[in-house]
Amino acid sequence: MGWLLNLYKTYEANVSQVGKIEKSRWDKEYTLLPIAHTTQNAHIEVDINEDGTFHSADMIGKVNTLIPCTDEAASRAGSKIAPYPLHDKLSYVAGDFVAYGGKIKKEEPFQAYIKQLGNWANSPYATNKVKSIYHYLKKGSLIKDLVDEKVLFLDQNNQLIEKWTSDYEPLQGEKPSIFTAVTGGQESAFVRFNVRIGHTPDVWTDKEMFDSFIAFYNETLGETDLCFVTGEQQPSTERHANKIRHAADKAKLISANDTSGFTYRGRFKTSKEAVGISYDVSQKAHNALKWLIQKQGKTIDDRVFLVWGSDNEQLPAPDDDPYDFFQDDDDEQDVIANTLYLYANEVAKAIDGYKSDLETKADVSIMILDSATTGRMAVLYYRSMEKELYLNRLKAWHAKCYWAHRHRKKDNTRIQFYGAPATKDIAFAAYGPRASDKIVKGLMERMVPCIVDGRTVPTDILRSAFQRASSPQSMETWEWEKTLSIACALLNVKEGLDVSLDYELKDRSYLFGRLLAIADVLERRALGREETRATNAIRYMNSFSKHPERTWKTIQESLQPYQARLGTKATYLSRLIDEVGTMIAIEDFNNQPLTGKYLHGFYSQRQELYKKKADVSEDQENTQSEEQ
Amino acid sequence: MKNIIEFVVYGDYALFTDPLTKIGGEKLTYNVPTYQALKGIVESIYWKPTIVFIIDEVRVMNPIQMESKGVRPIEYGGGNTLANYTYLKDVCYKVRARFDFNKNRPDLAFDRNEGKHFAIMKRSLEAGGRRDIFLGTRECQAYVEPTNFDEGEGAYDNINELHFGQMVHGINYPDETGRDELEVRLWPAEMRNGVIKFPKPEDCTSVRKIKDMAPPKVFDQSNVQSADELMKELGGE
Repeated sequence: MGWLLNLYKTYEANVSQVGKIEKSRWDKEYTLLPIAHTTQNAHIEVDINEDGTFHSADMIGKVNTLIPCTDEAASRAGSKIAPYPLHDKLSYVAGDFVAYGGKIKKEEPFQAYIKQLGNWANSPYATNKVKSIYHYLKKGSLIKDLVDEKVLFLDQNNQLIEKWTSDYEPLQGEKPSIFTAVTGGQESAFVRFNVRIGHTPDVWTDKEMFDSFIAFYNETLGETDLCFVTGEQQPSTERHANKIRHAADKAKLISANDTSGFTYRGRFKTSKEAVGISYDVSQKAHNALKWLIQKQGKTIDDRVFLVWGSDNEQLPAPDDDPYDFFQDDDDEQDVIANTLYLYANEVAKAIDGYKSDLETKADVSIMILDSATTGRMAVLYYRSMEKELYLNRLKAWHAKCYWAHRHRKKDNTRIQFYGAPATKDIAFAAYGPRASDKIVKGLMERMVPCIVDGRTVPTDILRSAFQRASSPQSMETWEWEKTLSIACALLNVKEGLDVSLDYELKDRSYLFGRLLAIADVLERRALGREETRATNAIRYMNSFSKHPERTWKTIQESLQPYQARLGTKATYLSRLIDEVGTMIAIEDFNNQPLTGKYLHGFYSQRQELYKKKADVSEDQENTQSEEQ
Repeated sequence: MKNIIEFVVYGDYALFTDPLTKIGGEKLTYNVPTYQALKGIVESIYWKPTIVFIIDEVRVMNPIQMESKGVRPIEYGGGNTLANYTYLKDVCYKVRARFDFNKNRPDLAFDRNEGKHFAIMKRSLEAGGRRDIFLGTRECQAYVEPTNFDEGEGAYDNINELHFGQMVHGINYPDETGRDELEVRLWPAEMRNGVIKFPKPEDCTSVRKIKDMAPPKVFDQSNVQSADELMKELGGE
């Protein structure tokens, strides 16, 4: 399904959410906007009686309000007169604006406003509330009433005070709140209207009002045209939404500006010749997109990563690490799932939890958006697939890109978890912890197809992670540990190894990795707890990965004093070195650079030894006899 | 009638621009090629105003994958701008097409020699086409080779149905419709078992007039050499 059509259908499927205020993770309010509506910050609220007389008014500070909106008003700028249909700035809604010293440029905004409101109030779609507001505003006494209510303030000459100074204090007392809430003087205050009729909802949350305006506005829309999204004849529009990612976002997904770039000119003269999009589709699709981004989008350096399902159930995202979706299940998974098989089962269970009702044939869509310039936005990636396929792909990814990690924190203690690292962490592993957002978002975009399409991980990412994991000296210990486990996970996509040590594996790189780990552990033990300096094995790791034979000689020579210091305590480890060493075929013991498998060998062997040590201290006798 | 051509077209990238994203200049590709894009490819292999190509079906062989690139399109006023184009990556399509004589060109009736056109077309295909082949946009260079349409395994052979929604089918030009208008055709694209069967241009119901156009250029014996004549000239029978 096309991306715009998909968004349009998402809107239609969630119509019940229209106008409902929800709170985002960052406590920001958002809603699925009705078509022909937008949101604005209102400063003043005016209550009107049903018969069209003034009731009361209040300063409300800065309250995000859902207001009806026409195409012209949405894109008004500068001195252009284009009133919002109902709620608007003081200069538009107050009939006595000029009388109180309001400055206007050419024509009077109020005339345009009241004419437009009159058309609505006199149309068959009008509700009583619209009529009441119209009857009140027609009288043109808004500023007078607001002054009486002590919401607006006049100077000695009965003019609106432009800028508050302490000179006014004798006249009005302390600085009224309107001067702090509104930037740019009282005349730019935004007014919203409410009508007091019984227990009906407020005007800006009233579904009847939404529908009334939509029906009225539909009548005024232009000619019908073939819509390229639905294939139906519908009223079309050439104005499309901005503010898609956030309120200050100017970039549009659909725009036409062809005075210099010649993007479509040639065969077509105007953008209308090139494509037709219906007003309904454009509004609904964009509103659905904004809603989805607020609800579940992830933004990195203004690039939006969005995953949503047609059935609106919670879905795991490709860039999550499995710990994110394990959480509800059980905290014990880090204990039990330490083999590939057990772990794969756990992932399957967790992911199957999202499958609840597969009979409905739900789809999952993945979209990445970004803009190269301020004005235009592009779809960088779009994919729509069956939910089952998507979940299976995630399952496959998490089972393939599998390793043990310790970089996740819970209640401030590091916890061990198994599985695929989050794509963000992959970026830091490959490019270092100071990688800029630009680099991180680029990598995340490249990783998405690897996960959802099962493509191979780009070699430059693999190589970079491998190199960094082989240079422990260049970073802090915790960072290196994190890089190492992520590199192991990435390289494991191809290898399919288990975290627990494979005693049988005769791969040359794997065995060399094991040797390095034993050397590291041996020296570490000899150094004792207080001595934190890096072992020779760690210091030579980088050159070891490039020239294993030559470097191993150096490492083993420098190991001697520590073996001597440990005495009999080193017997087991020394014997293990010999054992692993003899497993390497004589012709393989050379200076060929090692492959990624050596990291696996290193990690698994080291983990195995540390585990052994813990056992030893607990139950020395037992383990010792087992080892022999 | 001997007029069917089967070929495979493949390339590293493809960009069948979705017109929604074209007018702003941040191009995004459709998931699958349009009828018009494939027709252009066939016409790059071999074409003469005497004939009209009809694309019957296309098989999508590789998984549909997208990749975006930052590009710097030239501003005609001078300098560059920045844009993100989103391409299809690593594509391969098998196409079955055929030609018909253009009934709107009675002036070229003298050139209607089915066997000759068929033979020339086949030779052109084996040579890789007469003009450069590209997938959607000029920067996406591609290659054509003769093939057997049904052979080989496609990535979507086992997927019963995939719907792509409304897509551009193609563009109507006066010389093929007989109407002096430029029109665009839309159709709800769907793929069954990896194969997209295109309706014929005249069977498309969603047609949108773009503008009036000048009547087509006249071709006749004065400015077109018939296949038969060429044959004689080359010393054939």
